[in-house]
Amino acid sequence: MSTTLNEQSRPAEQQLDIIDCDVHPVIRGGMRTLYDYMPTAWSKRFQAKSTELVSVAPLTLRFQHPNGSALRQDVHAPDGGPAGSDPAQVRQHLMVENGIGCALLNCLQPGALAAALSGPEESAVLCTASNDFFLDQWHLTGSGPLRLAMSVPVQDPEAAAAEIKRLGSNPAIAAISLPLLNILMGNRYYHPIYAAAQEYALPILVHVTGADCIYQGAPVAAGGWPENYNERYVDLSQIGEANLVSLVFSGVLERFPGLKIMFVEYGFAWAVPLLWRMDRTWRSLRHETPWVLKSPFDYVRDRIRFTTQPLDEPERRAELEQLIAMLGPELLLYSSDYPHWDNDMPGETLRTLPAETRRMIFADNAKKILRL
Amino acid sequence: MGPTTDTPIGEIEAFSIGKMHIVQAGGFEIGVVRHDDNSFHAIRNRCPHKGAPLCQGSFGGTMLPSAPSELHYGLEQTVVRCPWHGYEFDLATGQGLFSNENMRVRTFPVTVRDGIAYLTGLPTQARQRGEAA
Ligand code: FES
Repeated sequence: MSTTLNEQSRPAEQQLDIIDCDVHPVIRGGMRTLYDYMPTAWSKRFQAKSTELVSVAPLTLRFQHPNGSALRQDVHAPDGGPAGSDPAQVRQHLMVENGIGCALLNCLQPGALAAALSGPEESAVLCTASNDFFLDQWHLTGSGPLRLAMSVPVQDPEAAAAEIKRLGSNPAIAAISLPLLNILMGNRYYHPIYAAAQEYALPILVHVTGADCIYQGAPVAAGGWPENYNERYVDLSQIGEANLVSLVFSGVLERFPGLKIMFVEYGFAWAVPLLWRMDRTWRSLRHETPWVLKSPFDYVRDRIRFTTQPLDEPERRAELEQLIAMLGPELLLYSSDYPHWDNDMPGETLRTLPAETRRMIFADNAKKILRL
Repeated sequence: MGPTTDTPIGEIEAFSIGKMHIVQAGGFEIGVVRHDDNSFHAIRNRCPHKGAPLCQGSFGGTMLPSAPSELHYGLEQTVVRCPWHGYEFDLATGQGLFSNENMRVRTFPVTVRDGIAYLTGLPTQARQRGEAA
């Protein structure tokens, strides 16, 4: 990498041994690379369809990134491939240079395919192939600094559960990346997936897939269809909000007492007022959903976590710190979102928080929810 | 400010016109642009927002503030856009553009003598220590 990075690195961060809960690797070589990880009949089908696996979900013109790509323009793999496609570069450029000791890999390519871009059978094959590709080509063993959030074919919950059972004992898997459909998370549709996640003590990670608000079947934002990238980008947090409400009031957290959820890249600033309203509603009308046995605050404290990126930046930084104190820093997990354009590097993130709070957000909280 | 020095950064022909070039000088990484009249601008390659290598984003013009549904492109060869969160800066002044945040990137004067471009105003001490201030 260019020497610019030397200007940026902060060796002091290494003492924190940071855990990064959202890194986006890219399958080098695209769809062709996955052919080795699937039955021949399926590779024939994908070949015949001339399918390509781009680095992020193909956006329609309406929602195309205003600068042409959601990937950082200053990073390319040494072979000229997209940022995030070279494991050694991710290790050096993201992790070593920023004091990140452990990174959770969450590939969005199978996520978008599973949510909307492929059919149910296709996505089952592609999720399996993608999981096997990363375990194999990124040498994930469970003892190194990289862990995988495995992809699951959400359009077929039984197949998703089977995939969790196939890989759930592998120590390299630290979470399950569940690409959401336009079905709220409290819905019984997801029960087989939750049962399998609980069985293997793996948290469910939800993250925008790129298909959201664009393709039929994927989650939509409230109120209507956004008109451009900026509107959609801001509105995506609504999907997190609606799903958090659904998780709590559906009782699914009681039905699956071991289920833990990570809301990744949906933000967290909205969580405090949302919880106030949920709590008030529960106190008044608890009897409609009597399976909600305690305050929504308590469910969130026990079972839900939020990642930090993209960090909101109020004019007065103290206001954000106050908001973190109101939510509870134990609910936050540091995430970079590398190598996407809106990534937050640890040295520039929440750096004025007290050291103890930083330690929680950058390392300790993640150890308690990821299966490390 | 302490003593400063002129630091040669190369023959002017080595800088293709209208393109961002990154050079190392005085402990800084600096983005340098040569214009078609052989004048130069130089700006530090570090974004004041969150430290990205600013000059590895795009360089050109941008959309000027406009009425709803209209687009007006302008400031060609003026705007340095950060490769991360997209903040825009004026190449000549380093001032952040169209923002409610008052951010500025350090810029450096460039002089040309006998076909060689020199960065001026680099602090000698920082240069000796190889320091990135
Ligand atoms: S680091 Fe340049 S805009 Fe954020």
